Amino acid sequence: MTVQVTASKGGIPHNTIMAYGLVGSIVCLYLTYLNQYLSVEYAALFGGLAAVFALIWGTDTIKHLCSYGIGTGVPSAGMIAFGSGVIAMLLATADVFNSMFLSPIMAVVFGAIIGGVAGWLANNVMRMNIPVMVRSLTEMAIIGAIVLMGFTAVMAGGFGFEALSAREIAILGPLAMKNFEFTVLGGCLVAVSFMLGSIALQHPFNACLGPGEKQDRTLMLAAECGFLSMIPVAVISFAFVGIGAAVLSLIVAVAGWYYTYARFLELSKRDAFAWLDAKPILEPKGED
Amino acid sequence: MTAIAAKPSASEGINPVASVIGIVIIIAAVAIAAVFANFALAALIGVIIGGLLIGFGVHFVPVGGAPAAMGQSPGIATGVAMLAAGAGLAGLFGGAWAAANPAFGIAIVIAAGAIGGGLLMAVTCLMVNIVYIFGMGIPAASGKVAKDPITGDSQAEYKSQGTEGHGLPFISYVGGVIGGMLGGAGGTLIYYELLQVYAAKLPELFSATAADVLPVAVSLAGIFAVGMFLMNAVLAAYNITGTIEGPHDPKFKRFPRAVIGCAVASAVAGLFAVLIVVV
Repeated sequence: MTVQVTASKGGIPHNTIMAYGLVGSIVCLYLTYLNQYLSVEYAALFGGLAAVFALIWGTDTIKHLCSYGIGTGVPSAGMIAFGSGVIAMLLATADVFNSMFLSPIMAVVFGAIIGGVAGWLANNVMRMNIPVMVRSLTEMAIIGAIVLMGFTAVMAGGFGFEALSAREIAILGPLAMKNFEFTVLGGCLVAVSFMLGSIALQHPFNACLGPGEKQDRTLMLAAECGFLSMIPVAVISFAFVGIGAAVLSLIVAVAGWYYTYARFLELSKRDAFAWLDAKPILEPKGED
Repeated sequence: MTAIAAKPSASEGINPVASVIGIVIIIAAVAIAAVFANFALAALIGVIIGGLLIGFGVHFVPVGGAPAAMGQSPGIATGVAMLAAGAGLAGLFGGAWAAANPAFGIAIVIAAGAIGGGLLMAVTCLMVNIVYIFGMGIPAASGKVAKDPITGDSQAEYKSQGTEGHGLPFISYVGGVIGGMLGGAGGTLIYYELLQVYAAKLPELFSATAADVLPVAVSLAGIFAVGMFLMNAVLAAYNITGTIEGPHDPKFKRFPRAVIGCAVASAVAGLFAVLIVVV
Protein backbone atom coordinates (compact mmCIF):
# COMPACT_ATOMS: atom_id res chain seq x y z
CA MET A 1 0.00 0.00 0.00
CA THR A 2 1.65 3.21 -1.04
CA VAL A 3 -0.11 6.15 0.44
CA GLN A 4 0.86 9.61 -0.60
CA VAL A 5 0.89 11.56 2.58
CA THR A 6 0.76 15.31 2.40
CA ALA A 7 1.61 17.29 5.47
CA SER A 8 1.64 21.04 5.93
CA LYS A 9 4.78 23.01 6.45
CA GLY A 10 5.29 25.73 8.99
CA GLY A 11 3.20 26.23 12.05
CA ILE A 12 4.59 25.66 15.52
CA PRO A 13 7.89 23.72 15.34
CA HIS A 14 7.73 20.14 16.50
CA ASN A 15 10.27 20.67 19.28
CA THR A 16 8.12 23.39 20.80
CA ILE A 17 5.04 21.18 20.72
CA MET A 18 7.04 18.34 22.24
CA ALA A 19 8.28 20.57 25.05
CA TYR A 20 4.76 21.81 25.86
CA GLY A 21 3.32 18.29 25.58
CA LEU A 22 5.95 16.65 27.76
CA VAL A 23 6.05 19.33 30.46
CA GLY A 24 2.28 19.87 30.42
CA SER A 25 1.42 16.20 30.73
CA ILE A 26 3.99 15.50 33.45
CA VAL A 27 2.84 18.51 35.46
CA CYS A 28 -0.76 17.31 35.13
CA LEU A 29 0.20 13.76 36.17
CA TYR A 30 1.99 15.17 39.21
CA LEU A 31 -1.09 17.24 40.08
CA THR A 32 -3.01 13.96 40.44
CA TYR A 33 -0.69 13.14 43.35
CA LEU A 34 -2.65 15.85 45.22
CA ASN A 35 -5.17 13.05 45.73
CA GLN A 36 -2.71 11.06 47.82
CA TYR A 37 -1.25 14.12 49.50
CA LEU A 38 -4.51 15.76 50.54
CA SER A 39 -6.59 12.55 50.76
CA VAL A 40 -9.13 13.82 48.25
CA GLU A 41 -10.19 12.51 44.85
CA TYR A 42 -10.95 15.69 42.94
CA ALA A 43 -7.49 15.84 41.35
CA ALA A 44 -8.30 12.77 39.22
CA LEU A 45 -9.38 15.04 36.36
CA PHE A 46 -5.79 16.21 35.83
CA GLY A 47 -5.02 12.72 34.47
CA GLY A 48 -7.39 13.40 31.58
CA LEU A 49 -5.72 16.76 30.90
CA ALA A 50 -2.33 15.00 30.89
CA ALA A 51 -3.68 12.61 28.27
CA VAL A 52 -4.92 15.53 26.13
CA PHE A 53 -1.50 17.24 26.29
CA ALA A 54 0.22 14.00 25.32
CA LEU A 55 -2.23 13.29 22.47
CA ILE A 56 -1.66 16.73 20.94
CA TRP A 57 2.09 16.12 21.07
CA GLY A 58 1.63 12.59 19.70
CA THR A 59 -0.43 13.77 16.74
CA ASP A 60 2.40 16.08 15.72
CA THR A 61 4.90 13.22 16.13
CA ILE A 62 2.80 10.93 13.92
CA LYS A 63 2.64 13.75 11.36
CA HIS A 64 6.42 13.93 11.30
CA LEU A 65 6.92 10.17 11.09
CA CYS A 66 4.21 9.49 8.54
CA SER A 67 5.30 12.33 6.27
CA TYR A 68 8.03 9.88 5.22
CA GLY A 69 5.53 7.45 3.69
CA ILE A 70 6.32 4.44 5.85
CA GLY A 71 3.99 2.31 3.74
CA THR A 72 2.00 0.79 6.58
CA GLY A 73 -0.55 3.53 7.04
CA VAL A 74 -0.94 5.99 9.86
CA PRO A 75 -2.87 3.73 12.32
CA SER A 76 0.04 1.31 12.72
CA ALA A 77 2.02 4.12 14.35
CA GLY A 78 -0.70 4.54 16.99
CA MET A 79 -0.74 0.79 17.57
CA ILE A 80 2.98 0.49 18.24
CA ALA A 81 2.84 3.60 20.44
CA PHE A 82 0.31 2.04 22.76
CA GLY A 83 1.65 -1.51 22.44
CA SER A 84 4.98 -0.38 23.83
CA GLY A 85 3.43 2.31 26.04
CA VAL A 86 1.22 -0.07 28.00
CA ILE A 87 4.25 -2.17 28.98
CA ALA A 88 6.19 0.90 30.14
CA MET A 89 3.18 2.33 31.97
CA LEU A 90 2.36 -0.83 33.94
CA LEU A 91 5.96 -1.23 35.11
CA ALA A 92 6.00 2.44 36.12
CA THR A 93 2.96 1.97 38.37
CA ALA A 94 4.90 -0.45 40.60
CA ASP A 95 4.42 0.57 44.22
CA VAL A 96 8.10 1.25 44.78
CA PHE A 97 7.97 4.06 42.21
CA ASN A 98 4.54 5.29 43.25
CA SER A 99 5.49 5.62 46.91
CA MET A 100 8.47 7.76 45.89
CA PHE A 101 6.22 9.91 43.65
CA LEU A 102 8.23 8.73 40.66
CA SER A 103 5.62 6.95 38.52
CA PRO A 104 5.22 9.70 35.85
CA ILE A 105 9.00 10.08 35.48
CA MET A 106 9.51 6.32 35.33
CA ALA A 107 6.78 6.03 32.67
CA VAL A 108 8.83 8.46 30.56
CA VAL A 109 12.08 6.56 31.25
CA PHE A 110 10.68 3.10 30.52
CA GLY A 111 8.77 4.42 27.50
CA ALA A 112 11.97 5.95 26.16
CA ILE A 113 13.86 2.67 26.58
CA ILE A 114 11.28 0.45 24.92
CA GLY A 115 10.40 2.99 22.20
CA GLY A 116 14.07 3.64 21.49
CA VAL A 117 14.71 -0.08 21.06
CA ALA A 118 11.69 -0.42 18.75
CA GLY A 119 12.80 2.57 16.67
CA TRP A 120 16.36 1.30 16.45
CA LEU A 121 15.08 -2.12 15.36
CA ALA A 122 12.84 -0.60 12.70
CA ASN A 123 15.63 1.56 11.33
CA ASN A 124 18.63 -0.77 11.56
CA VAL A 125 17.41 -4.36 11.65
CA MET A 126 14.40 -3.80 9.36
CA ARG A 127 16.53 -1.29 7.41
CA MET A 128 13.85 1.36 6.99
CA ASN A 129 16.41 4.19 7.06
CA ILE A 130 13.97 6.90 8.09
CA PRO A 131 15.79 9.79 9.77
CA VAL A 132 13.10 10.50 12.39
CA MET A 133 12.24 6.85 13.12
CA VAL A 134 14.16 6.33 16.37
CA ARG A 135 13.13 9.66 17.79
CA SER A 136 9.48 9.30 16.73
CA LEU A 137 8.99 5.81 18.14
CA THR A 138 10.72 6.88 21.37
CA GLU A 139 8.36 9.83 21.67
CA MET A 140 5.36 7.69 20.86
CA ALA A 141 6.07 5.01 23.45
CA ILE A 142 6.39 7.80 26.04
CA ILE A 143 3.12 9.30 24.81
CA GLY A 144 1.35 5.93 25.00
CA ALA A 145 2.56 5.43 28.55
CA ILE A 146 1.52 8.94 29.63
CA VAL A 147 -1.93 8.71 28.06
CA LEU A 148 -2.62 5.33 29.69
CA MET A 149 -1.35 6.62 33.02
CA GLY A 150 -3.52 9.71 32.73
CA PHE A 151 -6.66 7.72 31.95
CA THR A 152 -5.85 5.32 34.78
CA ALA A 153 -5.55 8.28 37.14
CA VAL A 154 -8.98 9.55 36.04
CA MET A 155 -10.53 6.12 36.65
CA ALA A 156 -8.86 5.23 39.94
CA GLY A 157 -7.72 8.58 41.31
CA GLY A 158 -4.08 7.49 41.36
CA PHE A 159 -1.66 4.96 39.95
CA GLY A 160 -0.17 2.67 42.57
CA PHE A 161 0.00 -0.91 41.33
CA GLU A 162 -1.52 -2.24 44.52
CA ALA A 163 -4.25 0.41 44.53
CA LEU A 164 -5.10 -0.48 40.94
CA SER A 165 -5.41 -4.19 41.66
CA ALA A 166 -6.87 -4.42 45.18
CA ARG A 167 -9.78 -2.61 46.78
CA GLU A 168 -11.30 -2.76 50.25
CA ILE A 169 -14.98 -3.55 49.96
CA ALA A 170 -17.14 -3.14 53.04
CA ILE A 171 -19.42 -6.05 53.82
CA LEU A 172 -21.84 -6.06 56.74
CA GLY A 173 -20.78 -2.67 58.05
CA PRO A 174 -17.45 -2.82 59.85
CA LEU A 175 -16.29 -6.00 58.12
CA ALA A 176 -14.20 -5.39 55.03
CA MET A 177 -12.53 -7.68 52.56
CA LYS A 178 -9.98 -7.20 49.86
CA ASN A 179 -11.38 -7.55 46.38
CA PHE A 180 -9.25 -8.00 43.28
CA GLU A 181 -11.92 -8.44 40.65
CA PHE A 182 -13.73 -5.11 40.76
CA THR A 183 -10.59 -3.05 40.23
CA VAL A 184 -9.01 -1.16 37.37
CA LEU A 185 -6.55 -3.96 36.63
CA GLY A 186 -8.78 -6.90 37.63
CA GLY A 187 -11.54 -5.64 35.36
CA CYS A 188 -8.94 -5.08 32.63
CA LEU A 189 -10.02 -1.49 32.19
CA VAL A 190 -6.48 -0.88 30.94
CA ALA A 191 -7.67 -2.53 27.72
CA VAL A 192 -10.51 -0.01 27.45
CA SER A 193 -8.19 2.95 27.94
CA PHE A 194 -5.75 1.31 25.52
CA MET A 195 -8.29 1.40 22.70
CA LEU A 196 -9.70 4.83 23.66
CA GLY A 197 -6.21 6.28 23.70
CA SER A 198 -4.79 4.59 20.62
CA ILE A 199 -7.75 5.56 18.45
CA ALA A 200 -7.52 9.13 19.75
CA LEU A 201 -3.82 9.14 18.83
CA GLN A 202 -4.04 7.64 15.36
CA HIS A 203 -7.25 9.30 14.18
CA PRO A 204 -6.47 13.05 13.97
CA PHE A 205 -3.65 13.02 11.42
CA ASN A 206 -5.28 10.17 9.49
CA ALA A 207 -8.47 12.22 9.23
CA CYS A 208 -6.80 15.52 8.32
CA LEU A 209 -3.96 14.42 6.04
CA GLY A 210 -4.05 15.30 2.39
CA PRO A 211 -3.95 18.57 0.55
CA GLY A 212 -4.80 21.54 2.71
CA GLU A 213 -3.74 19.92 5.96
CA LYS A 214 -3.25 22.64 8.56
CA GLN A 215 -1.43 22.13 11.82
CA ASP A 216 -3.86 24.02 14.02
CA ARG A 217 -6.84 22.07 12.68
CA THR A 218 -5.12 18.69 13.09
CA LEU A 219 -4.02 19.50 16.63
CA MET A 220 -7.49 20.81 17.51
CA LEU A 221 -8.92 17.47 16.35
CA ALA A 222 -6.35 15.71 18.55
CA ALA A 223 -7.51 17.69 21.58
CA GLU A 224 -11.12 16.94 20.65
CA CYS A 225 -10.38 13.21 20.44
CA GLY A 226 -8.59 13.37 23.78
CA PHE A 227 -11.56 14.94 25.55
CA LEU A 228 -13.92 12.56 23.73
CA SER A 229 -11.95 9.59 25.09
CA MET A 230 -11.93 11.20 28.51
CA ILE A 231 -15.75 11.17 28.61
CA PRO A 232 -16.12 7.33 28.79
CA VAL A 233 -13.12 7.17 31.12
CA ALA A 234 -14.84 9.66 33.43
CA VAL A 235 -18.03 7.58 33.26
CA ILE A 236 -16.04 4.47 34.25
CA SER A 237 -14.57 6.42 37.17
CA PHE A 238 -18.01 6.50 38.85
CA ALA A 239 -17.26 2.89 39.87
CA PHE A 240 -14.00 3.71 41.60
CA VAL A 241 -13.86 7.29 42.90
CA GLY A 242 -16.38 9.36 44.83
CA ILE A 243 -19.35 10.71 42.92
CA GLY A 244 -18.22 14.31 43.31
CA ALA A 245 -14.82 13.65 41.75
CA ALA A 246 -16.33 11.59 38.94
CA VAL A 247 -18.90 14.27 38.11
CA LEU A 248 -16.14 16.87 38.10
CA SER A 249 -14.07 14.80 35.63
CA LEU A 250 -17.12 14.27 33.46
CA ILE A 251 -18.00 17.98 33.40
CA VAL A 252 -14.42 18.91 32.48
CA ALA A 253 -14.37 16.25 29.75
CA VAL A 254 -17.71 17.31 28.24
CA ALA A 255 -16.87 21.01 28.43
CA GLY A 256 -13.43 20.44 26.90
CA TRP A 257 -14.90 18.29 24.18
CA TYR A 258 -17.61 20.84 23.35
CA TYR A 259 -15.13 23.72 23.11
CA THR A 260 -12.57 21.83 21.00
CA TYR A 261 -15.24 20.35 18.74
CA ALA A 262 -16.73 23.77 18.09
CA ARG A 263 -13.26 25.17 17.36
CA PHE A 264 -12.47 22.20 15.07
CA LEU A 265 -15.67 22.78 13.09
CA GLU A 266 -14.77 26.46 12.76
CA LEU A 267 -11.27 25.63 11.51
CA SER A 268 -12.64 23.01 9.11
CA LYS A 269 -14.98 25.59 7.60
CA ARG A 270 -12.11 28.07 7.35
CA ASP A 271 -9.89 25.53 5.53
CA ALA A 272 -12.68 24.24 3.30
CA PHE A 273 -13.42 27.81 2.28
CA ALA A 274 -9.75 28.53 1.61
CA TRP A 275 -9.35 25.32 -0.35
CA LEU A 276 -12.39 25.86 -2.54
CA ASP A 277 -11.31 29.45 -3.16
CA ALA A 278 -14.96 30.30 -3.44
CA LYS A 279 -17.28 32.61 -1.63
CA PRO A 280 -19.74 31.13 0.82
CA ILE A 281 -23.35 30.91 -0.34
CA LEU A 282 -25.08 33.69 1.53
CA GLU A 283 -28.29 32.80 3.31
CA PRO A 284 -31.18 34.86 1.89
CA LYS A 285 -32.27 37.33 4.53
CA GLY A 286 -35.69 38.76 5.15
CA GLU A 287 -38.66 37.02 3.54
CA ASP A 288 -38.57 33.24 3.10
CA MET B 1 5.46 20.34 1.88
CA THR B 2 4.02 18.09 -0.69
CA ALA B 3 4.41 14.44 -0.56
CA ILE B 4 7.17 13.82 1.35
CA ALA B 5 10.56 14.60 1.70
CA ALA B 6 12.04 11.28 0.87
CA LYS B 7 10.65 7.89 0.17
CA PRO B 8 12.43 5.54 2.53
CA SER B 9 15.07 3.56 0.72
CA ALA B 10 14.53 0.30 2.54
CA SER B 11 17.51 -1.84 1.68
CA GLU B 12 17.33 -5.56 1.11
CA GLY B 13 19.23 -8.15 3.06
CA ILE B 14 20.27 -8.46 6.66
CA ASN B 15 22.28 -5.80 8.42
CA PRO B 16 24.91 -7.97 10.17
CA VAL B 17 26.11 -5.38 12.68
CA ALA B 18 22.61 -4.48 13.82
CA SER B 19 21.65 -8.15 14.03
CA VAL B 20 24.61 -8.92 16.28
CA ILE B 21 23.79 -5.94 18.50
CA GLY B 22 20.20 -7.20 18.62
CA ILE B 23 21.31 -10.63 19.75
CA VAL B 24 23.50 -9.00 22.43
CA ILE B 25 20.40 -7.11 23.66
CA ILE B 26 18.49 -10.43 23.87
CA ILE B 27 21.32 -12.02 25.88
CA ALA B 28 21.50 -8.96 28.15
CA ALA B 29 17.73 -9.10 28.80
CA VAL B 30 17.90 -12.80 29.60
CA ALA B 31 20.89 -12.20 31.89
CA ILE B 32 19.09 -9.41 33.77
CA ALA B 33 16.10 -11.71 34.19
CA ALA B 34 18.38 -14.50 35.41
CA VAL B 35 19.80 -12.23 38.12
CA PHE B 36 16.72 -10.32 39.28
CA ALA B 37 13.86 -12.66 38.38
CA ASN B 38 15.24 -16.14 38.17
CA PHE B 39 11.79 -17.73 38.49
CA ALA B 40 10.72 -16.01 35.25
CA LEU B 41 13.66 -17.05 33.10
CA ALA B 42 11.78 -19.80 31.27
CA ALA B 43 8.81 -17.47 30.83
CA LEU B 44 11.02 -14.78 29.25
CA ILE B 45 12.41 -17.29 26.77
CA GLY B 46 8.82 -18.34 25.97
CA VAL B 47 7.92 -14.68 25.39
CA ILE B 48 10.87 -14.25 23.00
CA ILE B 49 9.82 -17.35 21.05
CA GLY B 50 6.25 -16.05 20.96
CA GLY B 51 7.47 -12.71 19.60
CA LEU B 52 9.47 -14.24 16.79
CA LEU B 53 6.55 -16.52 15.90
CA ILE B 54 4.39 -13.40 15.52
CA GLY B 55 7.03 -11.66 13.40
CA PHE B 56 7.36 -14.70 11.16
CA GLY B 57 3.60 -15.29 10.96
CA VAL B 58 2.81 -11.73 9.86
CA HIS B 59 4.81 -12.33 6.66
CA PHE B 60 2.33 -15.01 5.57
CA VAL B 61 -0.70 -12.75 5.83
CA PRO B 62 -1.82 -11.41 2.42
CA VAL B 63 -2.33 -7.67 2.74
CA GLY B 64 -3.35 -5.50 -0.17
CA GLY B 65 -4.10 -2.21 1.52
CA ALA B 66 -6.04 0.49 -0.32
CA PRO B 67 -5.27 -0.87 -3.84
CA ALA B 68 -6.88 -4.18 -2.85
CA ALA B 69 -10.08 -2.32 -2.07
CA MET B 70 -10.07 -1.13 -5.68
CA GLY B 71 -9.20 -4.59 -7.01
CA GLN B 72 -5.71 -3.59 -8.09
CA SER B 73 -3.63 -5.88 -5.90
CA PRO B 74 -4.20 -9.25 -4.27
CA GLY B 75 -4.79 -9.39 -0.56
CA ILE B 76 -7.11 -8.14 2.12
CA ALA B 77 -7.89 -4.45 1.93
CA THR B 78 -6.37 -3.28 5.19
CA GLY B 79 -3.04 -2.68 6.90
CA VAL B 80 -0.78 -5.47 8.10
CA ALA B 81 -0.95 -4.35 11.71
CA MET B 82 -4.75 -4.30 11.79
CA LEU B 83 -5.07 -7.73 10.21
CA ALA B 84 -2.39 -9.28 12.37
CA ALA B 85 -3.96 -7.74 15.46
CA GLY B 86 -7.31 -9.27 14.53
CA ALA B 87 -5.84 -12.74 14.05
CA GLY B 88 -3.70 -12.44 17.17
CA LEU B 89 -6.55 -11.28 19.38
CA ALA B 90 -8.86 -14.01 18.06
CA GLY B 91 -6.09 -16.49 18.82
CA LEU B 92 -5.65 -14.98 22.27
CA PHE B 93 -9.34 -15.52 23.03
CA GLY B 94 -9.05 -19.17 22.05
CA GLY B 95 -5.86 -19.61 24.02
CA ALA B 96 -7.20 -17.78 27.09
CA TRP B 97 -10.27 -20.01 27.07
CA ALA B 98 -8.06 -23.11 27.05
CA ALA B 99 -5.67 -21.66 29.65
CA ALA B 100 -8.59 -21.13 32.05
CA ASN B 101 -9.11 -24.89 32.17
CA PRO B 102 -6.51 -26.45 34.48
CA ALA B 103 -6.88 -29.81 32.74
CA PHE B 104 -5.30 -28.44 29.56
CA GLY B 105 -1.51 -28.39 29.27
CA ILE B 106 0.59 -25.88 27.35
CA ALA B 107 0.33 -27.81 24.08
CA ILE B 108 -3.48 -27.66 24.02
CA VAL B 109 -3.44 -23.98 25.02
CA ILE B 110 -1.07 -23.08 22.18
CA ALA B 111 -3.07 -25.22 19.74
CA ALA B 112 -6.29 -23.48 20.79
CA GLY B 113 -4.64 -20.10 20.20
CA ALA B 114 -3.34 -21.20 16.81
CA ILE B 115 -6.77 -22.44 15.77
CA GLY B 116 -8.40 -19.20 16.91
CA GLY B 117 -5.98 -17.11 14.84
CA GLY B 118 -6.15 -19.42 11.82
CA LEU B 119 -9.93 -19.49 11.95
CA LEU B 120 -10.19 -15.72 11.89
CA MET B 121 -7.89 -15.54 8.87
CA ALA B 122 -9.79 -18.35 7.10
CA VAL B 123 -13.11 -16.56 7.60
CA THR B 124 -11.64 -13.21 6.56
CA CYS B 125 -10.02 -14.65 3.42
CA LEU B 126 -13.23 -16.47 2.48
CA MET B 127 -15.34 -13.33 2.84
CA VAL B 128 -12.79 -11.28 0.90
CA ASN B 129 -12.99 -13.71 -2.01
CA ILE B 130 -16.80 -13.74 -1.90
CA VAL B 131 -16.79 -9.95 -2.14
CA TYR B 132 -14.21 -9.98 -4.95
CA ILE B 133 -15.76 -12.72 -7.03
CA PHE B 134 -19.49 -12.24 -6.51
CA GLY B 135 -19.48 -8.58 -5.54
CA MET B 136 -16.87 -7.05 -7.81
CA GLY B 137 -16.91 -9.73 -10.50
CA ILE B 138 -13.17 -10.27 -10.69
CA PRO B 139 -11.32 -13.60 -10.44
CA ALA B 140 -8.48 -14.18 -8.01
CA ALA B 141 -5.09 -13.90 -9.71
CA SER B 142 -1.57 -13.39 -8.46
CA GLY B 143 0.70 -10.81 -10.04
CA LYS B 144 3.87 -12.11 -8.46
CA VAL B 145 4.05 -15.67 -9.84
CA ALA B 146 3.13 -17.25 -13.18
CA LYS B 147 1.74 -20.40 -11.59
CA ASP B 148 0.16 -20.94 -8.22
CA PRO B 149 2.79 -22.90 -6.26
CA ILE B 150 0.18 -25.23 -4.73
CA THR B 151 -2.45 -25.85 -7.39
CA GLY B 152 -0.26 -25.14 -10.43
CA ASP B 153 -2.98 -22.99 -12.02
CA SER B 154 -1.59 -20.33 -14.33
CA GLN B 155 -2.35 -16.77 -13.28
CA ALA B 156 -1.49 -14.46 -16.17
CA GLU B 157 -4.69 -15.12 -18.19
CA TYR B 158 -6.86 -13.89 -15.33
CA LYS B 159 -4.80 -10.87 -14.33
CA SER B 160 -6.25 -7.54 -15.44
CA GLN B 161 -3.91 -5.18 -17.22
CA GLY B 162 -2.45 -2.42 -15.11
CA THR B 163 -2.96 -4.28 -11.87
CA GLU B 164 -0.70 -6.37 -9.70
CA GLY B 165 -3.34 -9.08 -9.61
CA HIS B 166 -6.49 -9.19 -7.50
CA GLY B 167 -8.55 -11.31 -5.16
CA LEU B 168 -6.95 -13.96 -3.00
CA PRO B 169 -5.26 -16.72 -5.04
CA PHE B 170 -5.18 -20.14 -3.39
CA ILE B 171 -1.58 -19.74 -2.20
CA SER B 172 -2.42 -16.41 -0.52
CA TYR B 173 -5.41 -18.00 1.19
CA VAL B 174 -3.29 -20.84 2.54
CA GLY B 175 -0.60 -18.36 3.55
CA GLY B 176 -3.16 -16.27 5.43
CA VAL B 177 -4.35 -19.25 7.43
CA ILE B 178 -0.76 -20.30 8.25
CA GLY B 179 0.07 -16.73 9.26
CA GLY B 180 -3.00 -16.52 11.47
CA MET B 181 -2.07 -19.80 13.15
CA LEU B 182 1.53 -18.72 13.79
CA GLY B 183 0.42 -15.32 15.09
CA GLY B 184 -2.27 -16.82 17.30
CA ALA B 185 0.16 -19.41 18.67
CA GLY B 186 2.82 -16.75 19.34
CA GLY B 187 0.42 -14.37 21.11
CA THR B 188 -0.98 -17.22 23.18
CA LEU B 189 2.50 -18.41 24.16
CA ILE B 190 3.29 -14.91 25.48
CA TYR B 191 -0.01 -14.83 27.38
CA TYR B 192 0.41 -18.32 28.82
CA GLU B 193 4.00 -17.82 30.00
CA LEU B 194 3.21 -14.47 31.65
CA LEU B 195 0.07 -15.92 33.24
CA GLN B 196 2.14 -18.65 34.89
CA VAL B 197 4.51 -16.02 36.33
CA TYR B 198 1.74 -13.77 37.64
CA ALA B 199 -0.42 -16.59 38.98
CA ALA B 200 2.59 -17.83 40.96
CA LYS B 201 3.91 -14.46 42.17
CA LEU B 202 0.90 -12.18 42.72
CA PRO B 203 -0.58 -14.14 45.69
CA GLU B 204 2.52 -13.52 47.81
CA LEU B 205 2.78 -9.91 46.59
CA PHE B 206 -0.76 -9.17 47.78
CA SER B 207 -0.83 -11.86 50.50
CA ALA B 208 -4.04 -13.27 49.11
CA THR B 209 -5.21 -16.62 47.79
CA ALA B 210 -4.43 -17.66 44.23
CA ALA B 211 -8.11 -17.70 43.29
CA ASP B 212 -8.58 -14.13 44.53
CA VAL B 213 -5.79 -12.59 42.50
CA LEU B 214 -6.51 -14.61 39.36
CA PRO B 215 -8.47 -11.75 37.72
CA VAL B 216 -5.48 -9.44 38.12
CA ALA B 217 -3.09 -12.10 36.78
CA VAL B 218 -5.30 -12.81 33.75
CA SER B 219 -5.79 -9.12 33.04
CA LEU B 220 -2.09 -8.29 33.35
CA ALA B 221 -0.99 -11.21 31.18
CA GLY B 222 -3.69 -10.37 28.64
CA ILE B 223 -2.83 -6.69 28.29
CA PHE B 224 0.91 -7.40 28.13
CA ALA B 225 0.26 -10.02 25.44
CA VAL B 226 -1.83 -7.52 23.45
CA GLY B 227 0.84 -4.84 23.82
CA MET B 228 3.65 -7.13 22.70
CA PHE B 229 1.52 -8.52 19.89
CA LEU B 230 0.91 -5.07 18.47
CA MET B 231 4.57 -4.08 18.84
CA ASN B 232 5.73 -7.19 17.00
CA ALA B 233 3.02 -6.94 14.35
CA VAL B 234 3.88 -3.32 13.54
CA LEU B 235 7.63 -4.04 13.46
CA ALA B 236 6.95 -6.90 11.03
CA ALA B 237 4.71 -4.58 9.01
CA TYR B 238 7.55 -2.06 8.83
CA ASN B 239 9.72 -4.86 7.49
CA ILE B 240 7.16 -5.61 4.77
CA THR B 241 6.51 -1.89 4.06
CA GLY B 242 2.96 -2.14 2.88
CA THR B 243 1.63 -4.94 0.78
CA ILE B 244 2.52 -8.61 0.55
CA GLU B 245 0.76 -11.46 -1.25
CA GLY B 246 1.85 -14.37 0.90
CA PRO B 247 4.69 -16.87 1.12
CA HIS B 248 5.35 -16.74 -2.66
CA ASP B 249 5.85 -12.96 -2.65
CA PRO B 250 9.52 -11.87 -3.06
CA LYS B 251 9.13 -9.70 0.04
CA PHE B 252 8.60 -12.88 2.07
CA LYS B 253 12.36 -13.47 1.89
CA ARG B 254 12.84 -10.51 4.23
CA PHE B 255 11.42 -12.48 7.16
CA PRO B 256 14.76 -13.22 8.92
CA ARG B 257 15.11 -9.51 9.72
CA ALA B 258 11.67 -9.41 11.31
CA VAL B 259 12.37 -12.59 13.27
CA ILE B 260 15.51 -11.02 14.77
CA GLY B 261 13.81 -7.67 15.34
CA CYS B 262 10.71 -9.14 16.98
CA ALA B 263 12.81 -11.38 19.22
CA VAL B 264 14.77 -8.34 20.44
CA ALA B 265 11.63 -6.25 21.00
CA SER B 266 9.96 -9.15 22.84
CA ALA B 267 13.04 -9.67 25.00
CA VAL B 268 12.99 -6.05 26.21
CA ALA B 269 9.19 -5.91 26.59
CA GLY B 270 9.14 -9.34 28.26
CA LEU B 271 11.84 -8.25 30.72
CA PHE B 272 9.71 -5.23 31.69
CA ALA B 273 6.67 -7.47 32.03
CA VAL B 274 8.35 -9.89 34.45
CA LEU B 275 10.04 -7.11 36.42
CA ILE B 276 6.63 -5.77 37.47
CA VAL B 277 6.31 -8.56 40.06
CA VAL B 278 9.89 -7.97 41.29
CA VAL B 279 10.10 -4.21 41.89
